[in-house]
Parts: sequence; C-alpha cells; structure tokens
Amino acid sequence: MRQNKKMSNLKAKNNRIRSLIGTALIFSMIVSMFLCLMPITAYAEKQTFTVGFDAEFPPYGYKDASGEYVGFDLDLAAEVCKRSNWELVKQPIDWDSKDMELNSGAIDCIWNGFTINGREDKYTWSTPYIDNSQVVVVKKDSDINKLSDLEGKTVVVQADSSALAAFTGEDATDENKKLAKSFAELQQTADYNSAFLNLESGMVQAICMDVGIANYQTAKRGDKFRILEEKVSSEKYGIGFKLGNDTLRDKVQEILFDMKSDGTFDEIAKKWNLETSVCLSADDKYIDKEETSSSSQKTDDSGIKFGDMFIQLADGMKSTILIFVLTLLFSMPLGLLLTFIRMSRFKIIQMIAKLYISIIRGTPLMLQLLVVCYGPYYIFGWELGKGYRFYAVIIGFSLNYAAYFAEIFRAGIQAVPNGQREAASILGYSNAQTFRKIIFPQMVKHVLPPVTNEIITLVKDTSLAFVLAYTEIFTIAKQIAAAQTNIIPLFAAGLFYYVFNFIVAFVMSRIEKKLSYYK
Amino acid sequence: MKLLEIKNLSKSFNGRKVLEDISLTVEKGEVVSIIGPSGSGKSTLLRCTTFLETMDDGELSYSENPVVVSNNGRAVYPSKNELKEAKKHFSLVFQNFNLFPHFNVLKNVSDAPIHVLKREKEEVIEESMKILKKVGLEEKINSYPCELSGGQQQRVAIARALVMNPDMLYFDEPTSALDPEITAGILRIMKELAEEKMTMVIVTHEIDFARAVSDRVIFMDGGYIIEQGAPKDVIDNPSNERTKAFLKKLSV
Repeated sequence: MRQNKKMSNLKAKNNRIRSLIGTALIFSMIVSMFLCLMPITAYAEKQTFTVGFDAEFPPYGYKDASGEYVGFDLDLAAEVCKRSNWELVKQPIDWDSKDMELNSGAIDCIWNGFTINGREDKYTWSTPYIDNSQVVVVKKDSDINKLSDLEGKTVVVQADSSALAAFTGEDATDENKKLAKSFAELQQTADYNSAFLNLESGMVQAICMDVGIANYQTAKRGDKFRILEEKVSSEKYGIGFKLGNDTLRDKVQEILFDMKSDGTFDEIAKKWNLETSVCLSADDKYIDKEETSSSSQKTDDSGIKFGDMFIQLADGMKSTILIFVLTLLFSMPLGLLLTFIRMSRFKIIQMIAKLYISIIRGTPLMLQLLVVCYGPYYIFGWELGKGYRFYAVIIGFSLNYAAYFAEIFRAGIQAVPNGQREAASILGYSNAQTFRKIIFPQMVKHVLPPVTNEIITLVKDTSLAFVLAYTEIFTIAKQIAAAQTNIIPLFAAGLFYYVFNFIVAFVMSRIEKKLSYYK
Repeated sequence: MKLLEIKNLSKSFNGRKVLEDISLTVEKGEVVSIIGPSGSGKSTLLRCTTFLETMDDGELSYSENPVVVSNNGRAVYPSKNELKEAKKHFSLVFQNFNLFPHFNVLKNVSDAPIHVLKREKEEVIEESMKILKKVGLEEKINSYPCELSGGQQQRVAIARALVMNPDMLYFDEPTSALDPEITAGILRIMKELAEEKMTMVIVTHEIDFARAVSDRVIFMDGGYIIEQGAPKDVIDNPSNERTKAFLKKLSV
C-alpha cells in the first residue's frame, strides 16, 4: 500500500509507464499489448495531436509559474494545430521513456529540443529547425576555462540527452570520447534542476547541455554560472515522429514551412530568445535514412549491448542491495531509539518523537531524499562533495524507515502483557534487564509480520534513489530501456525485485518459524 | 520477628479510595489469609506491599527495616537500589502465573537468581532442580510454558518464587484461574509450605483452604480491614455483619 502511495507522488508525467512497471510482470505484458493497440484508435479519429515533451526542459517545454505547460516548441505545436484544426494535447513524458511513449502511440511526436544527430534512423524526422550546440556550464568562479580543464572533474549530463550522446554515443567524436574518459566521473541526472543544484552545491564541477538551455538557465539563475566558449559539439533539433509515419511528418512539415515564410515561426523564436539558433529552411531536405549507417549494423550493435545490459544491471543490483542492507542496519536501531523516546514518561520528550514520526509519515520519501541531499547546502551552505550523494541516500532512507519501524516496535512492546513486567519487577530485574531479557525477545516475535512487510516495501522503495541520480538497478534499467527502445531491462529489473523479495519473505518466514517454539 | 509491618496504608485511584488506613503485621512463620468480596482492596493491598503499586500514604517495613515512610501525609519511597534490596524479602505468585513464555521451565526458575541475585550458576541450577522436583515437574524442565497445563504453570511460578529464597511469599488468588480438580494440587503444595513454616500471605476465595492452613484470617471490605483473627473465629463465628453476609453468600 505504501509503495503505491509513494508512487502517486512521482511526477505525473510518467504515471502511465511507471504504473506499468509497478504492476506484476504478467499484468505489464497485458498492458503493453493494450498499448500496442492504442495507435489504431488514435489514428481513427485524428482529432488530436499529442506532443510528447520533457516538462523540465525550458525554454522548449516546461511548466511556467502559473502551472501551464509552455515553451518554444509548444508554441510552434499550438500554431501547427491551429492551422490544421487539430486539438493540441501537451503530454509531459519521462525522457527515458520517450520511445515507449512514441512507439505505443501514446504520443504522436517528440517535439522538445530533440536532437537529430545520432538518432537519424530511430525516428522519422522533420527538417532541422534549431541549430543547437553542446556547451559546458561551470560555476562563475571556477578555474575551468577550456574543455581540457575538465580532466579529473565530475561532469553531469541529463540522462539520454544529446550531451551524453556527444560524449559516449555511437556517433561521438573520438576527441569527445577521450575527453569524457578524462573526467573523474560522468554523471547522469534526471533533470537540469538537480544538475544545477549539484553544480551549485559543489557535488559536480560542470554541466554539459544544449546551448539554448544553457543561455536560458544561466540567465535565469543570476550571476552564478558561466558558459565555456569552447563547444563540445554542434547539433540540430528536429521533430521526431514514429519511424515510418511519413504522412503525419509531411503534414506538420508543410505547415512549418508556411509558418517560416509568413514570419510566424521567427516571431515565436524571438519570443523565446531563440532567433539566433533558428535554422529552418525550405531548401533543407528531410533526413534521409539511407545516408546514415545501415540498419543491419545496428542490429549487431544491440546484440552486443544485450550482454552489456546484464553487466550494467548487475552493477545496479549491487547498489540496490547496498542501499537495502545499510538502511536496515541503521533504521532498525534508530527506530528502537525513537520508540523509547515515543514511550517516554515525559510528555515533552514524547512530543518530539510524535512530531518526527508525523512529519516523516506525512511527506513523500522522495521529497525527504531531496531535502537530505540538497538541504545541507541550501540551509547551511555546507558543500559536502560528490561522495555525499550516497550518504544522502542512506541517511534519507534510514530516517524514513526508522519512523515506520518505531511505530511497529511500539505496538510490539505494548502487545507484551503487563504481567510480564510485573513478574520481572517482583523478581528484581532492573529496567534494562527487563527490556533486554523479557520484553525485547517477545516484541521481536510480535513485530515480525509487519516488519516483513516493511522490509519488502524497502526493497521496492530503493528505486526512489534515482531522484538523487544514484544509479541503482531501476535507474539503470530505465536508462537502458530508453537507449535501446527495449522493455526487457525493465522486465529484468522487475524480476530482480521479485526474486529479492521472494528471498526476503522466505528468510523472514524461517525466522518466524524459529520463534514459534513458544506462544 | 515482624517480617512485614504496615501502618496506616491508604491508596486511591483517580480520587476513589480503595484502601483506607490499613495496618497489618505478619510474624515470621505465620500464614495469613485475606478474604473478602471482589473490589474490597485485597489485591491492591498485595500490589502495594510488593511495590507494583505505590501507596499514597502509610509506612511499610520488611524484617523491621523501614522501606516506605510517611512524611506529612505522603508515602516516601527509597532509592531504586534500596527498593531492589527490599524486594529480596518476598516473592509473589500471580493469579495468571506470568511465566516468561520464551524461557523454558528451568530458565524461568533459575534466571533471576543467576542474573539478579548474582548467584553461582551451578548452585542455582541444582537448587532449581530440587525445587522443581518438589513441585513434581522435574520431567518438564525443558518444556515451554505454552506446553504446560495451568496447574503445571502455577507450580513453575511457585518454584520460581521459592528459588529466590524469600523470607515470605505472597499469593494473589493463586487458584482462581485454574480448574477445580487442578486447584487441589496447588493447595497441597501451599499446605506443605505452611507445614515447613514458610511465612505466607494469601489472597484467596478458597474458604476451606483458608480455614485449614491459616494462623490468621483477615476479612476486608470496601478498602478496610473489617475483622481479623483465628479461622475458627472469623470464618466459623464471625462477629461482623458484613463478614457474615459475605460468608453466607459463599456457602450458596
């Protein structure tokens, strides 16, 4: 139940896909079959035009102060819809899941500062309309002035972004690959907001991103950051349609050319300060698939990646298990301590524990993780360095689970009959002895079933570590799934969680059996 | 020697008086039974003398050493350590046994002498075995309380109290949770203890038993000691109307 509650706090944009993952494997198969059928119904009516975009990608598409989805690309899409009498549906998506969204027909196109370079044969593309380059953003007072200064530094990029592709993608230049290898670490983050949080708090030294976004973000965030002059790569944006959907592409393209020739396009670009980047020209041809690498070579590539996938997932498993073990190790004693405070004879001390439990239980775990990770910098100005990310995950989870364990332990202690305390008192046991020898062992027996529940929830909750860009199995599975347009990594991750929990349940039932020698 | 001496004990729960001006002395070797209707304060009296409840006012001495003293109408308790020392004078057998369910019979009996009284383990085990044999449970030492009948559990509880080597034993309705045919076994053990001159204070509804083993019977009602004396006086020839009424109800 709690898992579900926490899940509902996840960004709304990927609700559909997320719940798909959360469901049991069998159900997800049925759902994906259902999703395959969706395009048929969508095309039958053709009244709506659903644009998929990352709602954290200004100025191309984002949520403005009033809560509306706005941006350059959305304005363009609105104009296209107006001219063709379609109804525009703005569909925020999880960037990692964009291919699944598109292929399942949940969206008609990806229109969101979408880089063509390196993805030529994965989508049916419009002509490029924005020239964008990858640049590096550093802190204003940083001693990094050119790309070679990035050696030994930690650099962050958005997951599955063109910046990442520029460093590690198939079409990355050797120069950029070499540069990426010289980094201390190339981290991935879910969104630019956390990337800037990381940069500002000193956890990373540089962010690599699209120049348009870099201009927008650095201007918006005041005089704290600067952009390196040397560019990592040059690239172009287009609108991505599902491979083979030329009909829709042609229609949208035609309207875009019209918009360009009557000046509407440039007007919209000017509104978003992107006029210098516009490169849309009626002379351009569509990206021709035959010009790019052959598709047979592609299959080979993904064949090799299939083996890599499990190596990468295995890495994620280690992280997941580490979070799990350390959280249990810290949250249980902490929970017991909280129980003592909660059961104190003094009302004021009791209140402290009550307040703590109330806050922890009343707010999303995801939010708590963010506060633990970024709070020290923003509240106290402490720069805790990049190693802190891992500690933040463990601290966040332990603080959260301690609150739940505390209440379970309290119930367990109260379930021990008062006669036990009285008998111990008559026999002269001290309070400490009474707890250690009489109450605690009986409490353990009482709390085993609810604690098992909690531990199983913890196994699944470890996936929330992704908000701190801590790469456990769920994050990695999502990234691989996005990169390969393949749902198998998600199934593999699901299987891992299931097997893990199966073992947990088995071990707990063995312990329960072991304690069943008395009633 | 006066093993127990209570003076002017009073106790109330939420402003409702449950014990009022109770004074009581128990001599070494004496067997005292406390009878009376439910709600009369018998059990509360026992819980006050064993420190499970704190009295509001009054004085309490064990073996003529003051433990609780009265100061300006309020009972003053000693430090934790002194209280722990005072607890060595007595033990209590509960109506509901209150054995430790996760300890086997031998550990239930021997754990406190080893870890509270810090006695030698071998010596305690040997003595525990002797006492368990006395109550007829030498074959059950490895059983857990849930595997025993009510009567057997109460015998373990008595053994657990005896092995602490107290000066006196309190019994709080020791047979009330037991079937009648099992009651007899427990009463027999208590009778044996009485014959061995064990000092005992017994809260009970077993009037015949009280008559047979007691040196003195106390009748309580409404928080007061109404009448006390030899069984033949209090039980067979009560002078107080309330005692008469109570005994009459018991005889059907």
